[in-house]
Amino acid sequence: MEILTLLSPMSVLLVAVGVLIGIVFGAIPGMTATMAVAVCLPLTYALDLSQGLALLLGLYVGGISGGLVPAILLNIPGTPSSIATTFDGHPMTLKGEGEKALKVGIVSSLFGGLFSVAILTFFAPLLADFAIKFSYIEKFLIILLAMTVIASLSKNLLVGIFSGTLGVWLSLIGTYDISVGGNGKTRLMFDFMVPYLENGFSLLPVLIGLFGLVMILEEAEKGYREQPLGADVNLSARARFSLGIFKGQIVNLFRSASIGTFVGMLPGIGGSAASVLSYTQAKNFSREPAKMGTGVAEGVIASEASNNGLTGGALIPLLSLGIPGDSTTAVLIGAFTLQGIQVGPLFIGEHLPVWHQIVAALLAANLIMFVVMFFAIKYVAKVITVPKYILYPIIIMMCVVGGYAINYGVMFDVWTLLLFGVFGWGAQKVGIEIVPLIIGFILGKSAEVYFVKSLESFGTLTIFFTKSPIAVFLWVLIFLSVGFSIYTTIKDSRQNKQSGRDA
Amino acid sequence: MVKAFSSLFKVSVDFSRSHLLFPKIVTVVLLLLLLAIFLVYGIPYLRDVRRGKRTLSVSGKQFDRLRFFGTIVLTIVYFLSMDYVGNFFPNMGFGFLFMSVPFIFLLSLLCVHGLDRRKFLALSLNALIAPTVAWFVLARLFNISLP
Repeated sequence: MEILTLLSPMSVLLVAVGVLIGIVFGAIPGMTATMAVAVCLPLTYALDLSQGLALLLGLYVGGISGGLVPAILLNIPGTPSSIATTFDGHPMTLKGEGEKALKVGIVSSLFGGLFSVAILTFFAPLLADFAIKFSYIEKFLIILLAMTVIASLSKNLLVGIFSGTLGVWLSLIGTYDISVGGNGKTRLMFDFMVPYLENGFSLLPVLIGLFGLVMILEEAEKGYREQPLGADVNLSARARFSLGIFKGQIVNLFRSASIGTFVGMLPGIGGSAASVLSYTQAKNFSREPAKMGTGVAEGVIASEASNNGLTGGALIPLLSLGIPGDSTTAVLIGAFTLQGIQVGPLFIGEHLPVWHQIVAALLAANLIMFVVMFFAIKYVAKVITVPKYILYPIIIMMCVVGGYAINYGVMFDVWTLLLFGVFGWGAQKVGIEIVPLIIGFILGKSAEVYFVKSLESFGTLTIFFTKSPIAVFLWVLIFLSVGFSIYTTIKDSRQNKQSGRDA
Repeated sequence: MVKAFSSLFKVSVDFSRSHLLFPKIVTVVLLLLLLAIFLVYGIPYLRDVRRGKRTLSVSGKQFDRLRFFGTIVLTIVYFLSMDYVGNFFPNMGFGFLFMSVPFIFLLSLLCVHGLDRRKFLALSLNALIAPTVAWFVLARLFNISLP
């Protein structure tokens, strides 16, 4: 706990504010932790890096945790990552054990969060140390690997790869920047676009548009319906919470938190995968699998420990390789760029105090989340009744602030927001996946520099295979991930055909 | 033999044209993927459309045209007007403040279902208070540039 002394009182306050706002975002169905971070980014413009990160990490942890409230009380996951919490959480509410379910979820969240902080603290510097030796060639292959992993785990392999490549393509619009060794010429645009797009699309308006506006447009399409509130949102204390519930669940806690942390490390897969995966594992290992889904604490523990385990896990590739582990950490990259800091293998070594503060802030965020939610759960539960007609206009307004202020007042950035909001809405309709697209967009420019510079200095394509044993190893991983996804695609389509015949 | 094989992979990058190399590769890959997607999913889909099994429309069953396009139009007007008004008061953020109030008010009206006096009061107050607080905290306290 000594590490907590690294935080200034101001930072602790910011973490607390972040956690509170995050819980509100998480608890309102349809609004996610990613959105919370994206919408609140402008607040960090006036802060320094460690304070800004304190706020954003608070939002992250709060946002992921808040999702359990409507999942348990209304059977609607507040964020995608609490999807499996509904399986057992809501049946518990129906049995009159709502408060118990919430508290089980909160304690599991705390455990998952702390577990992942521990893994992050240990693992990120190790991975970064290893990655420091990477030349441009290995760095390019790492990005290629990240893209194939994202694609192979997305709903549809072909469309997943397409989405990622489209993201890369979008990132290349603009100038091949001299500061990274480019020749300063523009490409992928017509002449009349040059005044606006000389520097390409700014990352933050793109992110805010894709995560903030898209959700509003989707709601608008559905007519901004308010959630029908069940009459039983009152928390009768028929079943009291005690730590005794966790007896015999220690293995479940550790397994779920580990799954969450691991899934977090893989780029581009969100909390919903973590939550569902650890729920099914809990069911596989359960002594009474038939009871799962009828309202047992075991299911809530599995889902909530894993989705909070995601937080620390997703930060590992971000802080050691510069590759975001999920959509929220993708937005966090925005916060770093804002302060002019590039995340990558050198980050931890060069910014040791910031790294320590990140760990401390994450730790504090989990503890504050626990205190707020555990003792004030009755009031937090009321948040889900905030009407949409109050909330959504405010969100668009905050999106505008975020877009406009990022480059100190460029109106084109605000239009970028709308452009990508509408684009994202349409893209999802035709099945393009947003998360691979975003990660492609973030990594695209670096990929270009690594690729072109490698060719310039070695003059042959074979160097990507022969540079070092690490390069060969990365190729093996790339082929494995592609092979894995082709295998699962074939297996799935066979199963579909089979079930089609049976039906 | 080995030499001929390795020369196959030789690439020399002309610096003055190096900005086009990677975009070209990505564009080609993108088009190939598009073609593959069309072959794998597009053709069976179109076949279904021709047989009348599916329609070309991508919108879901419930599509609230008024609220969807209303939101987009309001947002466009909001962005345009905020830039316009903001030019009269440089660096004050008044364009943001003055235009956010009607925008939030109108969008709330568009969103709301079953409008009654209590809801109307709530959304009117919200439209006044939210932009003012946001403007004060961001533009005044934090010195963040607003339109």
